[in-house]
Amino acid sequence: MSDNIKTVKNATCTFCGCVCDDMELTVDLDAKRITKAKNACVLGRAWFAEHTIQDGPAAMIDGKEVTLEEAIEEAAQVLTSAKFPITYGLSDTTCEAQRQAVAITDFIRGSIDTTTSVCHGPSGLAFQGVGESTMTLGEVKNRADFIMYWGGNPAESHPRHFTRYTVTPKGMFTPNGKKDRTVVLVDVRKTPSTPVADIFLQVKPGKDFELAWAMRALVKGHKVDSSIENETGVSLEVLEDLVQRMKNCNYGVLFMGMGLTMTRGRHFNSGAIMALAADLNEFTHFVAKPVRGHGNVTGADNVVSWQTGYPFGVNFSKGYPRFNPGEFTTVDTLSRCDADAALIIASDPAANFPQAAINHLGSIPVVSFDTKETATSKLAHVAFRTSTYGINTGGTVYRMDDVPITLRPAFESPFPSDEDILTPLRKRVQEIVIGKSKAKGAGAGVTRAASPVK
Amino acid sequence: MSINLTLHTSPEVPLEAEVLCTDKLIGLTGSEIEKLPVEHGNRQVSVADFFTVKGSPDDSISIEGDLSKVKHLGAAMASGKLTISGNVGSHLGAGMTGGKILVEGDAGDWVAPEMQGGSVEIKGNAGHLVGSAYRGSPIGMSGGEILVHGDAKNEAGHAMRNGIIVIGGKSGDFAGVNMLAGSIFLLGETGIRIGAGMKRGTLVTMSKTSMLPTFSYSCRYQPAYLRMYLIYLQELGFSVSDEQLFGFYHRWCGDAIEMNRGEILAHDF
Repeated sequence: MSDNIKTVKNATCTFCGCVCDDMELTVDLDAKRITKAKNACVLGRAWFAEHTIQDGPAAMIDGKEVTLEEAIEEAAQVLTSAKFPITYGLSDTTCEAQRQAVAITDFIRGSIDTTTSVCHGPSGLAFQGVGESTMTLGEVKNRADFIMYWGGNPAESHPRHFTRYTVTPKGMFTPNGKKDRTVVLVDVRKTPSTPVADIFLQVKPGKDFELAWAMRALVKGHKVDSSIENETGVSLEVLEDLVQRMKNCNYGVLFMGMGLTMTRGRHFNSGAIMALAADLNEFTHFVAKPVRGHGNVTGADNVVSWQTGYPFGVNFSKGYPRFNPGEFTTVDTLSRCDADAALIIASDPAANFPQAAINHLGSIPVVSFDTKETATSKLAHVAFRTSTYGINTGGTVYRMDDVPITLRPAFESPFPSDEDILTPLRKRVQEIVIGKSKAKGAGAGVTRAASPVK
Repeated sequence: MSINLTLHTSPEVPLEAEVLCTDKLIGLTGSEIEKLPVEHGNRQVSVADFFTVKGSPDDSISIEGDLSKVKHLGAAMASGKLTISGNVGSHLGAGMTGGKILVEGDAGDWVAPEMQGGSVEIKGNAGHLVGSAYRGSPIGMSGGEILVHGDAKNEAGHAMRNGIIVIGGKSGDFAGVNMLAGSIFLLGETGIRIGAGMKRGTLVTMSKTSMLPTFSYSCRYQPAYLRMYLIYLQELGFSVSDEQLFGFYHRWCGDAIEMNRGEILAHDF
């Protein structure tokens, strides 16, 4: 370790949706490494400790190094000449960069979608159908005495969720921590989270909706047949006891995991949980919240909603935003071979999308933004290498409860941030689009951004 | 003589052609129709860029070719007949109030969402959300009939308010979900969770299906009105057996979480 050491207090970890903002980082500035991350969980420690700056060009066209200006020009030409361009990713970058991406998509009349569509997008659909009874995690810590996790394993996916907000912390109205709370877990198998729970319900795989529906019936005072045990794996007695506990608590929280949104039923599973929370408000205070994965996926929802009116799966081809998941979401536009160019920011769809979508992605011009070499950056026509948000780049991210949090970067990267490239790209796209519009004549094909951008 | 359009160039990206609808073409000559605008992705082009137009205008249109990337055909249609010889893309007949659409091939997702009247007949298969509400909208199809001779995917009749939907082949999950009223006939194998959240309305299923815990068993009987419906479906070309026509049905009522005034009639084998 060198002597050139810096300490960053109250830094933010952007690994998961908890975005814990109480990190104390020890940074070796000569080695450009974080040597210690105090307060971080096991995932956060790995996130900080394993972060290195990979050597490589900041911009490439077809695998050959070019200047940033050349790459921005080529990207702008690709995007403005496309008839059905798509923008995807955005969950691992700052809100400031996301804002530029929305403006670019608006100018090029494309579709914008975030990793929400393959994560908690179904919960977003359920919000519209059912409504949302919501809160912040600070409220949960101070008030909640009944916590239920459904379809998630926070001990491994969000390790500090239990200790900062939901199980052990002592709150204003929960002075004895865990002793003042009832913790329930619903999952298809035992996980490392199970020992934390006071009550564990092992539901049969694919029967979450039936279980939630039976609970809704019990909450509303209807009889449920004892065959529910055979159907869902949970006995009627256990369910009746649970529902009584829920009705009698002071402040209840239902946390939804991807075990609900990515299994058969999808948005109806999430919707059933939100409706259960709404039903329980007849008796006591109940809220429901998805446990979000990526560091700033909540920010992506917020920024896209703020700028377009809809959270994901938004299309601008008519010059105004239209929302239709299933039609404008990225897996669908790629699998159906609709898209003819793609702007992929801070995401690696070429590694984790269905094969049909990956095949089409490989056949169209792709502009990628990534901090390291990925499957997507390898197939990209124009590939930008950018700095990592939260470690090298400042900005704003949103915690999973929609609370904005400021980033405090640890050390500088030789690469520009996503926003540093997206801003001139947006300006160049704007010039080209306005130029084409003027060439066509006044009033023809006039395009403008959804909201003014700097 | 009717107007005949033939697709001469396959669209590279989705083509939105809500202008190809009987009511919007009445009174126009062939050359005027060729100049009408359609949207190829984010570019506005003309009908002639993709279709050859023949014939003189009256109240019927026929369109030929693989139209699986062509969306919004017959949207907001109020009268006349639209015949499609081939496959067609999504949003066929969206919000239509009258007239008849016949598709010889398969249809994409959102067949006649939020339709208010008229008739849509699909000889092949249909996608998700037949006769449904658009996302965020509380009411789906509120009148008319949708006849799918092949299979249909999930959420057929989502939040439907009135009218009739018939699926001749297999149907997906959540048929009749959040249904407000109307009738849905599922003549083939059905998916799971049918009628979830239904307030009123009738779902008829001819296959064995599991009921949600919020549906309660009423009785086993022979509803006379159902026979009249089934004879009508036979006349429309659907396969209805004598056992289905003269057999018994189990009646389940639900969804108890909502108004509990809906019914599922399941054929007794």
